Amino acid sequence: MSDQININVNGSKIRTDSDQLIIEACEDSGIHIPRFCWHKRMDPVGMCRMCLVEIETPRGKALVPSCTTKVSEDLVVDTESEVVKKAQEGVLEFLLINHPLDCPVCDKAGECPLQDQTMAYGPGESRFVEDKRHFEKPIPISEIILLDRERCILCARCTRFSDEISGDPLIEFIQRGNKTEVNTFPDEPFRSYFSGNTVQICPVGALTSTSYRFKARPWDLKKVSSTSNCSSMGCSVELNVSQNKMLRILGEDNEFTNQGWLSDKGRYNFEYLHSEKRILKPVLNNDSTNEISINESMELISNEISVDNNSNISFIVGHNSTNEEYYALNNFAENLNKVNKDQNINVYLSDDYLYEGFFQNTDLLGKVQDLDLVDTIILWAQDIKDNLPTLYLRIRQAVKNGKKLVIFGHTNTAMKELADSYFGQEIISKNLEFNVEISEIPNFNELINNKNVLAIIGKSSPIQNTNPISNLINYLDKNSNLKILNCFAKGNTFGALQNIDLVKGLNEFINEFDSRKNNIVFTIGSNPVNSSIYSNQIKDKLMDANFVVSLDLFKNETTELANIILPTTSLGEKEGTFTNLEMRILKQNKILPTPGSVLNEWEYWSMMLNKIDIENNYESEFELNLQLCEEYLDKDNVPSFDNLNKPSNLDGVLNSKSINIEIENVEPGTLEILFVNRLYGDSSTQINSPSISMLGAERFIEMNNDTFIKHNLSSYTVNLVQGVITLQVKIKINNHLPNELIIAPLNRRGFRDIDTTKPYELIEVKNLEELSVN
Amino acid sequence: MSWDNELLERAHKIIELYPQKRSALGPLLYLAQEKDGFISDDSIVEISNLVDITEVQVKSVSSFYSMYKEEQTGTYLLSVCKSISCEINDSRSVINSVKEFTGLENYETDQDKLFTFEEVECIGACGGAPAIQVNYETVEGLTPEKTIEMCEWLKNDKPEIIVADQLQNKFGGTQSFDWAIEDNTGSAYTVPGFQNIGTAKEKDN
Ligand code: SF4
Ligand code: FES
Ligand code: FES
Repeated sequence: MSDQININVNGSKIRTDSDQLIIEACEDSGIHIPRFCWHKRMDPVGMCRMCLVEIETPRGKALVPSCTTKVSEDLVVDTESEVVKKAQEGVLEFLLINHPLDCPVCDKAGECPLQDQTMAYGPGESRFVEDKRHFEKPIPISEIILLDRERCILCARCTRFSDEISGDPLIEFIQRGNKTEVNTFPDEPFRSYFSGNTVQICPVGALTSTSYRFKARPWDLKKVSSTSNCSSMGCSVELNVSQNKMLRILGEDNEFTNQGWLSDKGRYNFEYLHSEKRILKPVLNNDSTNEISINESMELISNEISVDNNSNISFIVGHNSTNEEYYALNNFAENLNKVNKDQNINVYLSDDYLYEGFFQNTDLLGKVQDLDLVDTIILWAQDIKDNLPTLYLRIRQAVKNGKKLVIFGHTNTAMKELADSYFGQEIISKNLEFNVEISEIPNFNELINNKNVLAIIGKSSPIQNTNPISNLINYLDKNSNLKILNCFAKGNTFGALQNIDLVKGLNEFINEFDSRKNNIVFTIGSNPVNSSIYSNQIKDKLMDANFVVSLDLFKNETTELANIILPTTSLGEKEGTFTNLEMRILKQNKILPTPGSVLNEWEYWSMMLNKIDIENNYESEFELNLQLCEEYLDKDNVPSFDNLNKPSNLDGVLNSKSINIEIENVEPGTLEILFVNRLYGDSSTQINSPSISMLGAERFIEMNNDTFIKHNLSSYTVNLVQGVITLQVKIKINNHLPNELIIAPLNRRGFRDIDTTKPYELIEVKNLEELSVN
Repeated sequence: MSWDNELLERAHKIIELYPQKRSALGPLLYLAQEKDGFISDDSIVEISNLVDITEVQVKSVSSFYSMYKEEQTGTYLLSVCKSISCEINDSRSVINSVKEFTGLENYETDQDKLFTFEEVECIGACGGAPAIQVNYETVEGLTPEKTIEMCEWLKNDKPEIIVADQLQNKFGGTQSFDWAIEDNTGSAYTVPGFQNIGTAKEKDN
């Protein structure tokens, strides 16, 4: 903590931290200083001079940029003097020299800092009669971002973001003086997972996104704060809606989680909400012409579940439900159990990365914020940049602030540059097991012994023996002051874990499926037939099942096998709570009407209970929430709707419940291929969001150069052959990988059929004819 | 890969001179310019790989500094000073004589790719104004006549290496001070002749 000092601003005394900038100190005391380039989450550059203020110096009054000048004891600041006003007018007049003033056709108009500040501080008149500079407008700098260079005021927010925050500086200033422009390198588009943030922070309309361009005027937008379910980080977002259509998602600055940033997936994955392909009515036997009423569908389902023979009732849940919905489902399952004790009822979570995790000792559970407080960060998990992109940003920032990062295994190669120690193939085998005793790992002990350590821990691969992970945690627990972040990456996984009494994995579903019984399967917002390494087996089981009900937004490989499809709601269409990976409970809010005759998941569970004459005791999300709050461990700090809805509670509430996961540890045999989930894939929500639908289309595998040579390859396009499967893929060289291990994307078309433990062949694609076959 | 092994070897030697790879960016850009007469996109890709920064970061630097050329230059780059000291010593007529002889306007290159002409800001030779640089080798105390003589000499003799001392002896006048005593090295390309990065060439007579 830094000391508090006094400064004097516009004649009044202000108390402030001694290491603050003038602009921050003033902001905190409610004195707004206009600015373009300064952003509180980035280093100051003093680029635009809009924030000039007068301070008293030993040599008299001086104009200084308040965004680069720190406060000091008894500093006297004037933010409103005549001189300051003149400076502000001057700066704005200069900025407008080359600005095209095409506000009538600019997306930013209405929420444009340049427009607003020109109104508030500008000279009102221009003396500039010469020609403005002209550029082609707009130019696409990636599939989703457009750049209008004429509008740019060279504040360097976008370039600093991509350099400082996201670490992929693909956008930069080119040229000098009045020729300066922002641009990318000719063949190197702005393909960053985080590019959308630059659109949000650009203080003019120079950077725009394809999905929002010309769609709305800011003053027509309805807005609500909510929580993204793009990953288990639970990023705070603002949903923007106009005429009942979601048009934009913006990041909200939540100190504890995303700090304002979003991944492009979290930002742009929403157009599917209004896709024509959405299911809007219950459908019978996967036949679109066979739409039925909700009542009919409930009749049919209740007839099946109330049959009095010993049925196996399975629920395969996804990660997009709210806590309330998981709770209602759990309640439904419990009640079914009460009705017929012979029934076998189980809930499975559709995530191959699920394992038992480390939840026993709640004292050990860490927070995202611990990244900034510990000495060392240990990472052994699936690819963080692709699966928890905003957590990746937080780790980057922590490393920048001097935290040591230790990475185990082969999935987080993209973060190797950030790591103090990267334990690759010498330490961790291809099978993700230790090659050496943990205590013998070189330079490891000094990074952890008696240090504060945060371990971000999870499976690296869908198939992995988890004993090494447990051993590592035990070792860390003994030797360091340990906190753990369990790294299940998907949406509201932690909400499912907390609100469902016992959760199992997909492998358990397959093993427990007993074809001699009457099998009834519910899939809820999950597509296990297309998202798992067990997909083929699951497909067989679902085909074998007596009755399948799918609750989903779209038809997909799983709903194809369903007897009844029930349409459900999604982000913005439902209200509820969300639990992130640190057990922070955040609010999701409703701003869109429910389309067609779509119902929330919990409403279906409630209606089904009614149909089989069981009384349920909830009638709204609100009541569900009241009930589920009863079970939180910390009773004084309950995340009720009331609690979370207060404007101050964007931050959410930390709380947890006991978690029971039952998953058998599988021995992988020999891993030949390491599956990773990429940020962009072929999920039905992404495929049905036109702006980003193509981003997950490319099929590529990664390997190191030695492996490339060993396979005798000369071209980077090959056929990956395993048994009857042939996949045409591109090869990317990644020299952080161990020999003879390739990385393949699990969530891209075609890869799911591949068995990661079986040998494969890479065969060169000889000629163009062959190229066009696939 | 657009750079041959010899150039790559030179690049690696330069990179070794610095504690951080990216610090070698400036000299490497001169190598690129030595190779093509300008900074090609291919070279930018090459350099970005060599020093581990993105292509656009290299481009940002190369396009910022005017001594890194974005377009092909002629064999001889004539940089005529137009700043204040030269101006008051009649650099205008020196500039005009170059323009007249070459037929070029500012930043133009002739069809034979022999001359590129540019007017530049102060080249630090104010004491001997007016001054010109030929491939960044400075000659001071010029007159319009001597300037034309120099251009003719360049055109006819096509010297492979330009050495400041030689230029000064042949065509120069007042000198601010002796840049390098008995300097026999100069520049063979449109980049400054620096010994430590190997762009300086020895003249053998
Ligand atoms: S494009 Fe926008 S954010 Fe980037 S420098 Fe220009 S004005 Fe600033
Ligand atoms: S905000 Fe201070 S110079 Fe731009
Ligand atoms: S002004 Fe011409 S060399 Fe300085």
